Amino acid sequence: MNLDAFAISLDLINRHYQEPNRNRYEGKYFWEELYPLISASGFRSIEIPYEPVWQFGGRSGVPMNRYCINTKYETAANYREVLSAGGIYRVAGVTFDPNLFMRNDNLGFYFGATGHFANEALAHAADLGAEYFAISPSPYYGRVAHYHPNLEAEAESFTERVTELLQGLAAKAEASGVRLVLRNEFWSLFRGERIFQLLDTLPDSVKLDVDTANLTIAGISLSDFIVAHSNRIGCVHLTDTSFEDTAETWRSPNPEFPDNRATQVFRDPGTGSIDLPQVISLLDGLGYQGPMTCSARQTRDPFRALLRIRALLNTLQN
Amino acid sequence: MPNIRYANMCHWKSIPYRQIDNFRDFYYEDKTNSAYYSDWDTVLKYQSALGFDGIEIAPWDLADILPLFGSPENFAAFAKDRGVEVIGMFHGAHASQAVDHFDEVVKSGREAVDTIVKFGGEYMNTCPTNNYYGSGPLTRDDVQQCAKVMNEIGRYATDNGVKIGLHNEFFCAINLPNHREFIELTDPKLVHYCIDTAQVAIMGEDLLTFYNDYHDRISTFHLKDTASARQPDSVRYAQDPEIADDGTRWFWEPGLGELDLKGLYRLLKQHQFKGWMSVEYDGSPDMLASMALTRYHLDTELRPIYD
Repeated sequence: MNLDAFAISLDLINRHYQEPNRNRYEGKYFWEELYPLISASGFRSIEIPYEPVWQFGGRSGVPMNRYCINTKYETAANYREVLSAGGIYRVAGVTFDPNLFMRNDNLGFYFGATGHFANEALAHAADLGAEYFAISPSPYYGRVAHYHPNLEAEAESFTERVTELLQGLAAKAEASGVRLVLRNEFWSLFRGERIFQLLDTLPDSVKLDVDTANLTIAGISLSDFIVAHSNRIGCVHLTDTSFEDTAETWRSPNPEFPDNRATQVFRDPGTGSIDLPQVISLLDGLGYQGPMTCSARQTRDPFRALLRIRALLNTLQN
Repeated sequence: MPNIRYANMCHWKSIPYRQIDNFRDFYYEDKTNSAYYSDWDTVLKYQSALGFDGIEIAPWDLADILPLFGSPENFAAFAKDRGVEVIGMFHGAHASQAVDHFDEVVKSGREAVDTIVKFGGEYMNTCPTNNYYGSGPLTRDDVQQCAKVMNEIGRYATDNGVKIGLHNEFFCAINLPNHREFIELTDPKLVHYCIDTAQVAIMGEDLLTFYNDYHDRISTFHLKDTASARQPDSVRYAQDPEIADDGTRWFWEPGLGELDLKGLYRLLKQHQFKGWMSVEYDGSPDMLASMALTRYHLDTELRPIYD
């Protein structure tokens, strides 16, 4: 496996939660200094989490949606030139999760906003030359349940609307040369094997995202899952965890922060319990040659995380 | 009881936990200071310890706070247990100049008032409309429409025990050329004013003159300093100027900028202001440090003038 092609997700930068110095992440200068540092840590490609929220508060220094890129760089092409100047030669993928829009009891608002911005994100992914567009098919289960207490009774119609949304995206993705992949988070309405409720109704061009930590937390055997669905994998996220969901945290409104016991659910790759070298070896043995993206979501120190991941990858043979 | 009570405008980013009971274990997971900024219990204790007895909620935090606590009432009770009361919530009256937007913007304002009542708050400091960029310059009719919206929301707020306070940002479509005209068009019985000391100075108002002229309209303050008073149109009317590309800060802790805050306090004494003052730390890299610095400056420089 070509380790040099592994991407790093920009989700290692904490955009949303309180910590000292977090405010600098809203400034353009921070990101433009970051790209050469990412490159210096051995990564030449990045993944961008698409976040519409930055266009609403005038915080367009955060390069995570089309509005921000157009505000600061005028075009995606100009932004790619800035990335290249910093040693980042490829945007491997763009991710999108719809949690922002699950904020009231109006499903019309949720699906309207999610559909609009997911389509925009997909188009942005194409403009950036991304290989994949990875979408989370649902918000946090517990957040949906908070605003829709009859969630289980409404699950069928909710699923139908999600499917309709994804079918539209699948057609646009195919037309624009971007691979649509479905994320499989432990907190999703479509967690674990439930993802096939959606995937089986979608064209073959739509693939699975294998996220090592999320699948593990959901109680899925990584090796069994990978082997069983190897021909449907469109993207791999190398994430790590030591979290065991013994209290049904996945059903809570804020599942990445277990309310019964504080813990860092996602650990820096190489510092949790998942045998990532074994996963990489398995995928290699199966002939997988698609995108591999490292993610240090929730890291306490993004720069240490970059080097921790590089140290881990350095232990592997190219 | 002092004449001025102090609150914090909530600029904490998302706080993911209510209370961390396994604090030591959480700390040891990666031995960083994340544990110190991850739960409301701890954050509210910082406020309480530093003498900030009130908190003004930010509306963009509701999507996290409400699922975390279940209801505004639960959050208010949780804060009160730690010595902090919710004094109100910020609000943005987006596109209030658009006639065809009237019903929507008034409805949104009324809903925000309802939310504040549930929190037990009394103030709704309100940005009158969108940024100048993309909306300005406003015509006289536009300004009148903005005022009409504020009067309508203000009537509902007043009926529900909430004071709406106009809060002008330096980059708002209501800006220096029409700021005072806009205030004059609102009904003083229904619509009050929250002076953001730095924002009005950056916009180009002289802070002391402005307070002197409108002291009887002032419901509350957002207190912060600036070293960037009287910015030109090219800055105020630019796209997304609030976060500068190069990291320049518009806002500083009281005493670290150039505003005549002692002069302001002398005027507060002259006009016998009584009420809440929300300190704001937007732009600060360290909210706790800013809070402590502010407390020191208040106690040594400003409160001796008027308390």
